[in-house]
Amino acid sequence: MRIRPLVTVLVLPIAAILAVPAMGFTVANETRTQVHTVLIEGMRFQPQDLTVAAGDTVVWVNRDLVPHTATSPSGRFDSNEIAPGTTWTHTVRNTGEFGYICTYHPLMKAILRVK
Amino acid sequence: MKCSLILAAGLFLLPVGGAAQGISDAQIAAIVVTANQVDIDAGRLAVERSSNDKVKAFAQLMVSDHSGVNKAATELVTRLKVTPQASPTSQALQAGGDKNLAHLKTLKGAAFDKAYVDHEYAYHQQVIDALDQTLIPAAADAELKALLVKVRPAFVAHRDHAKSLQSSRSDER
Repeated sequence: MRIRPLVTVLVLPIAAILAVPAMGFTVANETRTQVHTVLIEGMRFQPQDLTVAAGDTVVWVNRDLVPHTATSPSGRFDSNEIAPGTTWTHTVRNTGEFGYICTYHPLMKAILRVK
Repeated sequence: MKCSLILAAGLFLLPVGGAAQGISDAQIAAIVVTANQVDIDAGRLAVERSSNDKVKAFAQLMVSDHSGVNKAATELVTRLKVTPQASPTSQALQAGGDKNLAHLKTLKGAAFDKAYVDHEYAYHQQVIDALDQTLIPAAADAELKALLVKVRPAFVAHRDHAKSLQSSRSDER
């Protein structure tokens, strides 16, 4: 009979404390973001049409011998110059469909869809 | 027309198809470096002389991109210990480039822009043909061949960019 209060006082609070990070981990799993890669190679964005979720990160990797940009004409994002052999990382926040180009090579076009 | 003939005099010296084996990697290296340098020189002149923003931006791009390609080509041949070797083709390319510059320097305004852009379109097409028919098939070293394959899309993009400038010029008339 004397043990029960001890359980109430010591064990339950400890269990509650342990449960907090466990619950937090579950939430984190549900909202886990992804990293996507767009290769810039052969004077093209690959893939040219990419769908991601809001909060995801997109990495543009320039494998060409010349500089490029990934620029949304609407002003939603702009990498500025991505030198050959370098990358630009951008985390997307807003949903929508964003066409983008390389400002140096305006015939290079692609679209980023954020859901 | 005059520019196209000058251009053809250089690149048509390249053997095609089965005769491609006659070019060494050292000669290919010199042709690539010269082909890029010729376009860099024309681009610098156009940046200085053109008053059209689109043409000027294109010319600046030619300077930047072809400098980048030449940097990569030079690094590769240095690593491969290949010394670029002049050939009738590289010499004719250089002579054609010099003549093109001399011709462009006689022009001003819209006439300059038209001559420059028209030449750029024809020049890039000729280089693409040379890459496809001669340089890529003839390259013996795998890394040199891979570099030629890698630079080809840039020449295509530049040709198409020049074409779009020609089209926009037609639309403005």
